[in-house]
Amino acid sequence: MTEDKPRDKKSTLEKEILRYFPQTIRDVLLKADPAVLSDIEEIRLRAGKPVTLLNSDGDWFVNKEGKLTCRKENAYIADPMEITRTLELMSEKSVYAYQDEVRNGFITLRGGHRVGIAGRVVLENGMVKNIKDISGLNIRISREVPGCSGDIIRYIIRNSSDIYNTLIISPPQCGKTTLLRDIARIISDGTDRYNFKGVKVGVVDERSEIAACFKGVPQNNVGIRTDVLDGCPKTVGMDMMLRSMSPRVIITDEIGNQGDRDAILRVVNAGVKIIATAHGYGISDLKTRREVLNLMEDKIFERYIVLSNAKGPGTLEEVVDGLTMRQLVAGRQRLTG
Amino acid sequence: MLLKIIGSILIISASGFIGFLYSKDCSARPQQLREIQSMLQMLENEISFLSTPLSEAFERIYKSSNNSISAIFKSAHEYLIDNLNYNASEAWALAVRDNIKKTSLKEEDEEILVSFGKILGSSDVEGQIGNIRLTVNQLKMQEHKAEEIRKKNENMYRTLGVLGGIAIVILLL
Repeated sequence: MTEDKPRDKKSTLEKEILRYFPQTIRDVLLKADPAVLSDIEEIRLRAGKPVTLLNSDGDWFVNKEGKLTCRKENAYIADPMEITRTLELMSEKSVYAYQDEVRNGFITLRGGHRVGIAGRVVLENGMVKNIKDISGLNIRISREVPGCSGDIIRYIIRNSSDIYNTLIISPPQCGKTTLLRDIARIISDGTDRYNFKGVKVGVVDERSEIAACFKGVPQNNVGIRTDVLDGCPKTVGMDMMLRSMSPRVIITDEIGNQGDRDAILRVVNAGVKIIATAHGYGISDLKTRREVLNLMEDKIFERYIVLSNAKGPGTLEEVVDGLTMRQLVAGRQRLTG
Repeated sequence: MLLKIIGSILIISASGFIGFLYSKDCSARPQQLREIQSMLQMLENEISFLSTPLSEAFERIYKSSNNSISAIFKSAHEYLIDNLNYNASEAWALAVRDNIKKTSLKEEDEEILVSFGKILGSSDVEGQIGNIRLTVNQLKMQEHKAEEIRKKNENMYRTLGVLGGIAIVILLL
């Protein structure tokens, strides 16, 4: 198995995220302990409220010396101007280049980090046109964990050149996309451990989170036989991939919207395998969602992988055979690189 | 006598040369106004068709052409990437101020360029395109005016240069 050296976490954070903050906030955050910085999952800026960092222990305020505290006094308060400035810098000072993303409520930074935006919405014909008066930003730090799918890949592999249609089910913040990315890499590169030859993989990366493309080139390692359709809506993207790139496996994130079912059926009917993720706290939780329920009833997915963060992000809860609904793996274990 | 003749020739050719320089400056301005228009056209394409962020769009524009105007785009690009604290309109205004002296453009052209920067990068594609078209139209009008001035002045400067030289020679003789 080819293993890449994980990127140096602190300098990644500095290069990919802190550079977008105004000098004032950047200085405070850079005073923080590097060990703390390398571990954070979210940075939140809210107008007139303390700057908040979230790690696996919960959320923390940052005080003016860069220390994490749980007390509001002396915490560094984000000014509304600083927030506006941050978004301006994040959109590379070119609002028009990000207008479609802002309409959906978030933009994706180089490196695949998703930034959620809250503020006053401007409407046009009942559709969101823009968000102004930005009052809150939530920066979710995306991490590559090479090798995290090493233990569960054997439940996905059918034989040396084929895999099972797989759905990864997980609540937010539990490592869904991280796992999906690593699966893409292994299926594309192949692995000697299970005698699996690499196959052609098509990634439909609607939110630029899986491959984190910059100028069309994946910044994350998603494998050598992988083609990425960056920023493309899932349903359209799956059809385009199918028609144009002849993939053996199509990989996409966060299914469950209208039209996803039909698109996935078209993929499966074309004899192409699919690996997708869905938001949910377990298999029974998914049954309340029509698009996904239909797919489950059609027995499209042959494997379900359920994640949680019971033991930190990326805790494997169970692997279930989609045809017999029999548990293949039960019990919690943490997936690590 | 010979010295006088050589001196007179020197004076006449020098002042003629000065006149020639002035007349050349007259034709440089409409030329540069045309260049900006075509560069803004490229920017329009980058924005509307490719959704390229400004720093990258400026980079492509200045690399694709080499004239005194591309220096403005080059320095705007540098302001945008070097110092994260400038927004697009500040970067553009600084770039125009820094480089306008090296061009033949007049103050009124500078004002059009600076006001072009006011909403640069801060609105949606339609807004940006509207702004670019408006600026291109204004520059076109400037170009027409500059063209007329050029026609009027070009010959005048040349003849003035030579005649002025002759006048000086006559006075000195």
